[in-house]
Amino acid sequence: MTGSLYSMDEKRIVKEIDKTDPSVSLRIWFKAGAKDDPAGKEGLAMLTAQMLSEGGTARNTYEQILEKMFPMASSYYASASMEMTIFAGRVHKDNLDDYLKLFYEQLLTPAFGEEDFSRIKQNSLNYLKTTLKYSNDEELGKAVLYNNIFAATPYGHITSGTISGLESITLQDVKDFYAKYFNRNNFVLGIGGDVSENLVKQVWDNLMKLPEGKENTFKDFAVKEIKGKKVTIVEKNASATAISMGFPMNLLRGSREWYALAIANSWLGEHRNSSSHLYQVIREQRGLNYGDYSYIENFPNGGRYQLPPVNVARNKQIFEIWIRPVPNETKHFAFRAAMREFKKLVEDGMAKEDFELTRKFLKNYVLNFATTTNERLGYRLDDKFYGISGGHLLTYRKMMDEITLEEVNSAIKKHWQYGNMEIVFITDNAQELTDALASDKPSPISYATPKSQDILEEDKEIINFPVKIDKNSIKTVKVEDLFK
Amino acid sequence: MLKYIITLLLIIFMNESFSKESKFFPFKTHEVVLENGFKAILIPVGNSGLVSYYSVVRTGSRDEWEEGKSGFAHFFEHMMFRGTDRFPGNVYDSIITSIGANANAYTSDDLTVYHLNFASEDLALVMDLESDRFRNLKYSKEQFQTESGAVYGEYRKGRTSPWSVAFEELRDMAFDKHTYKHTTIGFERDIKDMPNLYEYSISFYNRYYRPENVTLVIVGDFDIEKTKKIIGEYYKPWKPGYVMPKIEKEPAQKAPRFKEVQYDGKTLPLVIMGFKTDEFRATDKNFISTVSFADLAFGETSEIYKKLVLKEQKVQFISASPGMNRDPYMFEIYTMIKDEKDIDYVIGEINNTIEQFKKEKVTVEKLDRLKKNKKYSFLMALDSPDAVASILPQYITLANSIEVIDQMSETMMNLTPDDIVKSVNLYFTENNRNTIVLKGTK
Repeated sequence: MTGSLYSMDEKRIVKEIDKTDPSVSLRIWFKAGAKDDPAGKEGLAMLTAQMLSEGGTARNTYEQILEKMFPMASSYYASASMEMTIFAGRVHKDNLDDYLKLFYEQLLTPAFGEEDFSRIKQNSLNYLKTTLKYSNDEELGKAVLYNNIFAATPYGHITSGTISGLESITLQDVKDFYAKYFNRNNFVLGIGGDVSENLVKQVWDNLMKLPEGKENTFKDFAVKEIKGKKVTIVEKNASATAISMGFPMNLLRGSREWYALAIANSWLGEHRNSSSHLYQVIREQRGLNYGDYSYIENFPNGGRYQLPPVNVARNKQIFEIWIRPVPNETKHFAFRAAMREFKKLVEDGMAKEDFELTRKFLKNYVLNFATTTNERLGYRLDDKFYGISGGHLLTYRKMMDEITLEEVNSAIKKHWQYGNMEIVFITDNAQELTDALASDKPSPISYATPKSQDILEEDKEIINFPVKIDKNSIKTVKVEDLFK
Repeated sequence: MLKYIITLLLIIFMNESFSKESKFFPFKTHEVVLENGFKAILIPVGNSGLVSYYSVVRTGSRDEWEEGKSGFAHFFEHMMFRGTDRFPGNVYDSIITSIGANANAYTSDDLTVYHLNFASEDLALVMDLESDRFRNLKYSKEQFQTESGAVYGEYRKGRTSPWSVAFEELRDMAFDKHTYKHTTIGFERDIKDMPNLYEYSISFYNRYYRPENVTLVIVGDFDIEKTKKIIGEYYKPWKPGYVMPKIEKEPAQKAPRFKEVQYDGKTLPLVIMGFKTDEFRATDKNFISTVSFADLAFGETSEIYKKLVLKEQKVQFISASPGMNRDPYMFEIYTMIKDEKDIDYVIGEINNTIEQFKKEKVTVEKLDRLKKNKKYSFLMALDSPDAVASILPQYITLANSIEVIDQMSETMMNLTPDDIVKSVNLYFTENNRNTIVLKGTK
């Protein structure tokens, strides 16, 4: 027994002790997310998290909390992804006691006031109604892709929700969501930095002041099979075209196959890295855009971050290709170039030398993923989520020594295919694109600058590359009608 | 014997090599300055097995003084990845890939930064690669022209945000002569013309990519003495030859400026106000007061934030940033307004806030809380080698030294309520004001 009021469940605590760290980090994972949004209340998990981040408590208004946090240069925040809600914060150890008081108050006694609610709800609605639709075409493309792939499942809406869902959410809904999921049996505590055992106990005891409740376990669901290539053209006044495409995948980190596929994926499209093959073909050799990447795990806000995020873990992942905005006149060509490269990889597998280079790359590259206490805590929580006892990043490095080219190529054959996928274009002139895609007509390209003979030869194949899309599988959506 | 000779050589070609303790910066720093003017700042931190390697070029979009060359510093940043005779672009890429380095670069007004994070054991290899591309860059006309397409793509990506449009308009309106007139990405017409500037690009490299204009920062887990030695080996042969850009001084602004911009797309209305200030001055209380004023007047604990964001909920957010630039720039205030009919009201509230700070002193208590905030936000930001390295380029550009962090902190900690009043009265005049109102389509 510990001296704690409640016995500490060590299985529900992850620690990252570093006595040289002048700060203390807390990350508490509550098992709830957008998948738990009730029907008609899409966006509730996110809104509840925001009420904890930017709302008052029984003792302090939000304004007072900001005042008290200010001299500590600190804050806490909550954020919801599909399956995880994280309540987290970090403070310099000089200010630990003052900070913890506020931290506990927020988590245990949120005020859920009307004034905070109206502000946060309004801001969330504005994000869906204008920011996402009209000022970030790349995120828009990904949002539509995920919504399409997971339509009619608990994953069927992005974490920001829907406009009608957000509009119908009441303060009582937020209180109910909080009461149901922020309970003492439904969290894992992450604590790190210059931390004593006493501090761990103190935090645990305070979390035990949360009400009784049930652990929210994941209930599996089926994702509808995609038959053929399904295209959604989001029509808007766009000066460039963003493209996203993908299909669901039944593979999660932790399994050996995942690490094998990670090698293939890194070669094909390592996030924001010039080693990405798609990047080489579309950007480096042809200068059509700013970058081209692929994913086997969800990577929200990829335009903003260089390295993978923590605590957006989920039981259902997709394979995804992201083509950053290309000039409208080259959208068909760029799309074909990406499809052709992906098809080649699926059919031919990886070449020996690409495999060798990529696994060497990944072995060291993952060292960059968790350089701060806070990031390491995030990884530890994700390890809990996925049940990776040896730690994801350590396993990752180890696997890079062990996995063979045959394993990579068999993982490609098993988990990737070229025939069935959802494809999203954010662009103008939907009719013209529909006709071009349906007829597979050539997509000639002209460059403002001279290109080498090799590239021009390869272009001839890309220009005529048959993607084979059925006319009836192409639909056009007006941007105004999204996320309703 | 060889070792002895190398040691002797080191003594000969290093003008200076010394270490320092700082009052505010919590790590010991070591500096190396070579005869050719090249400077390296070394900061051993922790035992992570990782090193952050930042090459800071004190050239940015500010240095694009020639007509039609806006955006060129950023474009050139892209070209630096195209390789040399020894390590052609694809070889450079494959070596960087094989060591698993996290490598990237960025450009802003006053600087271009090339940064890599990698395992400590690869430090000598990275230094070989990096010094080589800074000394011997070579690319074909064709590669040059292809890269211009990627830069245009980056411009297009950015243009889908109304903020990019608003900031571009603000600078264009606020500056007549100085190169801060354009953003780092540059004017679209100049980006379009980039494929034609191959010869110019070589002259750009020859003028600005010179040892006396570049400072290297290494932070993390490495051996100081060995590193000093290889710095000598790799960077000594680099020939000096920096040519100063002919940047025109911006004349004093004589009247307030205002422009309403129509954005081609939907957005909530945006307002940006820019007040002309001075170049960064670490020991000048007037200037450093503007850094405090940004938080006091427009931060999350300010009266206007409480009123417009929390109580009346008329704006989505409001924020301000003091311009800390090499030449006089602007203090910027920006906000996103929920309803078009409130635009004038919000601008009025911003002006009232400024007028109030001209007359009323903040309390000593409030100022002390701000000083504590600055101290802890600085200390908390230093949580990995990369985090430490990443805050330094800005200061290196401003003063080519990190002592300036101490000077600035010292000035900040000694500010009084009177200093703030004086500073606001000095800079926040009607004549120094530039306002952009951006409205979306209905």
